[in-house]
Amino acid sequence: MQGPGRIAHGLLTDAERPLGFRFDGQPMQGLAGDTLASALLANGTRLVARSFKYHRPRGIVTAGPEEPCALVDVIGASGREPNHLATTLMLYEGLVAESQNRWPSLGFDLMALNDRFARFLPAGFYYKTFMAPGWAWERLYEPLIRNAAGLGRLKAIVGEHAAPAETVHDHADVLVVGAGVAGLTAAHRLGASGLRVVLADQDAVLGGGSLLDARWTAWRETTCAALVGLGTVRCLSRTTVLGAYGHGVFAALQSLAGADAASSGALRERLRIIRARRVLFATGALERLIAFPGNDLPGVMLAGAALGYLRRYGVAVGRRPAFFLNTDQAYETVFALASAGIERAGVIDVRTSSLAAERARGLGIEVHAGAVVEAVAGRGGVATVRVANRDGSQRREFEADSLLMSGGYCPTTALASQLGAVLKWQEAIAAFTPELLPTVGRVAGAARGVFGLAAAARNGEAAARVIAAELGHPALAAGLGLELPVDANATPIGALWEVRAGGKAFVDLQNDVTAADVRLAQREGYEHVEHMKRYTTHGMASDQGRIGGLVGSAVLAQARGLALSEVGQPKPRPYAQPVPFAALAGGEVRQHLKPKRRGPLHDWHEAAGATFVATGLWMRPLVYSQQSGWEAVLREARAVRRSVGITDVSTLGKIDVQGPDAAKFLDFIYANTFSTLAVGRSRYGIMLREDGMLLDDGTTSRLAQQHFVVTTTTANAAVVLEHMEFHLQAVCPQFDVLLTDVGDQWAQFAVAGPRSREVVAAVVADLDLSSQAFPFMAASAATIAGVAGRLFRISFSGELAYELAVPARHALQAWLALLEAGRPFGIEPYGLDALNTLRIEKGHVTAAELNGNTSAEDLGFQRMPKQHGDFIGRALSQRGGLTAPDRLQLVGVRPVDRARRLRNGAQLVAPKARTTSLGYVTSSTPSVELAGWVGLALLAGGRQRTGERLIASSPIHDEATEIEIVSPHMLDPENLRVRA
Amino acid sequence: MLRIRCPWCGERDETEFRYRGDASQSRPAADAGLAAFSAYVYERKNPRGWHLEWWLHVGGCRRLLKLVRHTLTHEIRVVGTAQDQPSLPQEPGR
Amino acid sequence: MPGKALSLRLETSASDIVEIAALRGRARELERVALGRGVQLPALGRALAATDHLALCVRPERWLILTPPAAAGASAAVWQAVCAGLGAALDLSSGLNALELTGSVAREVLVRSCRIDLDPDAFPVGAACATIMVQVPVILVALASGVLLLTPASTARHFHEWLMSSAKTFGFMPPSHLNGAAVSDDQLS
Ligand SMILES: [Zn+2]
Repeated sequence: MQGPGRIAHGLLTDAERPLGFRFDGQPMQGLAGDTLASALLANGTRLVARSFKYHRPRGIVTAGPEEPCALVDVIGASGREPNHLATTLMLYEGLVAESQNRWPSLGFDLMALNDRFARFLPAGFYYKTFMAPGWAWERLYEPLIRNAAGLGRLKAIVGEHAAPAETVHDHADVLVVGAGVAGLTAAHRLGASGLRVVLADQDAVLGGGSLLDARWTAWRETTCAALVGLGTVRCLSRTTVLGAYGHGVFAALQSLAGADAASSGALRERLRIIRARRVLFATGALERLIAFPGNDLPGVMLAGAALGYLRRYGVAVGRRPAFFLNTDQAYETVFALASAGIERAGVIDVRTSSLAAERARGLGIEVHAGAVVEAVAGRGGVATVRVANRDGSQRREFEADSLLMSGGYCPTTALASQLGAVLKWQEAIAAFTPELLPTVGRVAGAARGVFGLAAAARNGEAAARVIAAELGHPALAAGLGLELPVDANATPIGALWEVRAGGKAFVDLQNDVTAADVRLAQREGYEHVEHMKRYTTHGMASDQGRIGGLVGSAVLAQARGLALSEVGQPKPRPYAQPVPFAALAGGEVRQHLKPKRRGPLHDWHEAAGATFVATGLWMRPLVYSQQSGWEAVLREARAVRRSVGITDVSTLGKIDVQGPDAAKFLDFIYANTFSTLAVGRSRYGIMLREDGMLLDDGTTSRLAQQHFVVTTTTANAAVVLEHMEFHLQAVCPQFDVLLTDVGDQWAQFAVAGPRSREVVAAVVADLDLSSQAFPFMAASAATIAGVAGRLFRISFSGELAYELAVPARHALQAWLALLEAGRPFGIEPYGLDALNTLRIEKGHVTAAELNGNTSAEDLGFQRMPKQHGDFIGRALSQRGGLTAPDRLQLVGVRPVDRARRLRNGAQLVAPKARTTSLGYVTSSTPSVELAGWVGLALLAGGRQRTGERLIASSPIHDEATEIEIVSPHMLDPENLRVRA
Repeated sequence: MLRIRCPWCGERDETEFRYRGDASQSRPAADAGLAAFSAYVYERKNPRGWHLEWWLHVGGCRRLLKLVRHTLTHEIRVVGTAQDQPSLPQEPGR
Repeated sequence: MPGKALSLRLETSASDIVEIAALRGRARELERVALGRGVQLPALGRALAATDHLALCVRPERWLILTPPAAAGASAAVWQAVCAGLGAALDLSSGLNALELTGSVAREVLVRSCRIDLDPDAFPVGAACATIMVQVPVILVALASGVLLLTPASTARHFHEWLMSSAKTFGFMPPSHLNGAAVSDDQLS
């Protein structure tokens, strides 16, 4: 039967399919359908972990994702993955799992000494002890604490991707969370009414509580089959809704962990982003613990979990269990184990009398009414249970190998709370229930305190009716007409949170928080439930303290002398459960992490041996060489200065501006004037932000009276388009203008150098390129290598130059024609580095100078803004602070010793005041035309400092270079070359 | 995550939009002076409650929308065009 | 999901693409002259397929008209004449790449990044929308044969690579392994 604990047939296990696995090196057997926890229990393994702080021995406490203790490492093909819950980890052949927080071994844990010295480890211990000095945290305390504590180990995950995942976007009319009888009923009725429903349940099978009650089998099977038949309901099992984000948006984690998940590279998780018009939370209720001394000893388990192990996996969690409970519902476990033939050590019922107790006695089960458990004892697990009447009288002790506890049931409120649900205290069940705004959704079944399966089914139907009506389906479709098994009458709960009898009574088993810790927090002034949580770490572990959260609040309420309803619970936030980062990253990882933009000549550049550089999203050729160093860069730049070069500037932003008010609009967007620009001419322009700082620069050409094409810098293309669209719609909607992004439509090349006219003339047949016919800043339609394109005479390099634009599809044709035409002149393609060398020599600015902190005045554009007429940034650019003479201004810099180099980012300081920065180098390059290095810098009052000598200091390079301040226009300041 | 019902595209995820700031500000006349422009660019009420704001639907129709959104609850009451002049609701948001 | 008939076909298709945009208050006139040229301009969020063109509208008073490839800019030149005084006509044939995804799992692959509701009831044949997928702009058009995707030329390769990889991750169709599934990956420029 695969272990001594396997006493019956399980609903989910397949007795014909045994599976071998190893736990802490021990070979064991389980069954297909088992979780690791059920397989361990079947094998009689009780000790599965050591606790986080005290390293106390711990066993399995629950049968689901709320498990606080049974966390294991799984060792798979891709390495060690920590923090798997044994209670949800599906068993597969060859699974290798190891327990956590034990050193050197689970049975003999040196760190358990922490437990002996527990009085030195109270709540807030870390805060109090490791206080000062600051450095000690990093070097001393943290490594110490990490070694002693922690949850699993993260090291040794190998492989490119340990857990591949993907994201899927879902849409539904209604998201039903939880597929117990309330959720199943509601999903069926909503789906039958024609609404699109997503039904998500964390369990591997649908059914919730009905899985534990054989009377409901037929109902469940019929309903699930009907759901599938509808076609409108998507049933997602193993799907945990992690967060509710408002506006009908939810995140859910679907686990795809199949039998071979750990060893294969198959998809492990799917993050679903679900958008729904309404939500129905049928999330059920979680059984809670009771804080009594020793309630963490292996063998102490929630009663409902024991019922789950019996029904789902056919596993008895003990041979002679005792029960400690306070509701009639918890007796279901007592009755189920009794009918399975398990010997009982007795029932300790907090209440003096109840219907269930009478029924139990009728079956010959001993019930200690009006009693509590004061202690459990045993080495490594429960052996004896000490019981007393509630007033402390009549102590007695008996033998039991497990204690199945139940302190009542807390409706699952976390997701509803994330959506702003109001929590209402319900005395009848001693718990809070959530109330949602109707426009958000509803809560049904045990999640709103309606206990009993038949009652939950009726409640789910009622919620479905309301939701359907709200969504325009007033007549809810008929149900399946199934008879509902009758709920038993129940005596109300006898609320009990804690038994104070000496010894550690835990309210949070994962973070090792005791009831005494909660009281200590209160005594030290951390009275608010949110403060208590953070001081004690109660509820802050990966299980979020789900089975003990309200118990902690109750202990705090008692300490403060308040009602529990006044103390409340900490506010839960997403995620409701731990999520692997891989699941959040989904498919957009590695090469899909962010888009790469590639120009139309990308493949040509690659074939030509270019080294690429990412500028924003663009991949641009940096230099046509795989060698580092300046040699290739200078060869390319020299070709431009001496003869001719060609570079791909397709990445420039291009915006088509058309309409009757196009000129007026550009006058408003740019600091300079475009309405006076003649058709067939280009003009360099600068654009300010409304705060007066420079936003972008570029040339704009007038193709027709009402038609312009604007170019932007590569980096700012999207920003400028949005800036223009915003202002057109928000600030000057009176303008009739059409803006279109044509950046990807047009490939654009610059052909630059003294021989560029001859090269361009060879491919442009229909234009006279003489300076009289086509002067500097001319623009025209042109046939380029047989393709209808555009020709501009503009220059960034400072040489005679042209820019040619052709539709990107024809880029290669035009590019090759230009290379061919340039061959007699030794044309060189040049990359971004050479482009930079050329523009620095010329004193042209790029993003390094247009850095968001510079004004027009700073960069020497003070004469460019128009004197008359409004434009964006006009008013604030005239602020004193933006025109002050001591602002950082653009200058040229050259090392006095021409053999020395410059460094971008080097601080400019006076020789006698080297700790006061006067500015910094923004761009630098070895020069083609001038001796040595040249650079641009932003320098306080720089224009008045021409001729001065300063130090360019770069401490990270251990360099201090004497430099002289020169005009930024280091090459051809009269602009003779560009006008040649 | 916000879901914004674009009048042109229908309901879309927040990720398709670019927030463009406080829409209750209108640009002063050209000669309004430094103080007026300073207020336009820098001074914001930052209310706890209803807020008029610009959202540009960059991932869809590329139209500018004017929203009435509650800064505390994120409720979006109105999604209009740039020219709409919605008034802010009196009642608290949900 | 073995046993389910699955297929996916991803093709790049060349077409001339012209965007026409109406000046203020001129949209109705523009629609009339377009109709005179045999092109009915669809309502916002819709596409209309004819034998020799596909017209679609994802931005107010702007339309994309796809036609079989002709001489560069020829189609735009024709439309510029048609639009004179009413709006602008721009050649976007090089700016946008067209991909067509067909097959039973086409929409299932797309929802790995598409945030739009692609359920056939919500996005029926003839629907068109502009959205963001894998961080880049995409225009989707539901055709009887599948889904047409228009994406900026500079990010087309990125988008294509993602589609391929997403289809593989899907588990259905590593292109070399699955019988009956065809993926043409070679035409991408
Ligand atoms: Zn929109």
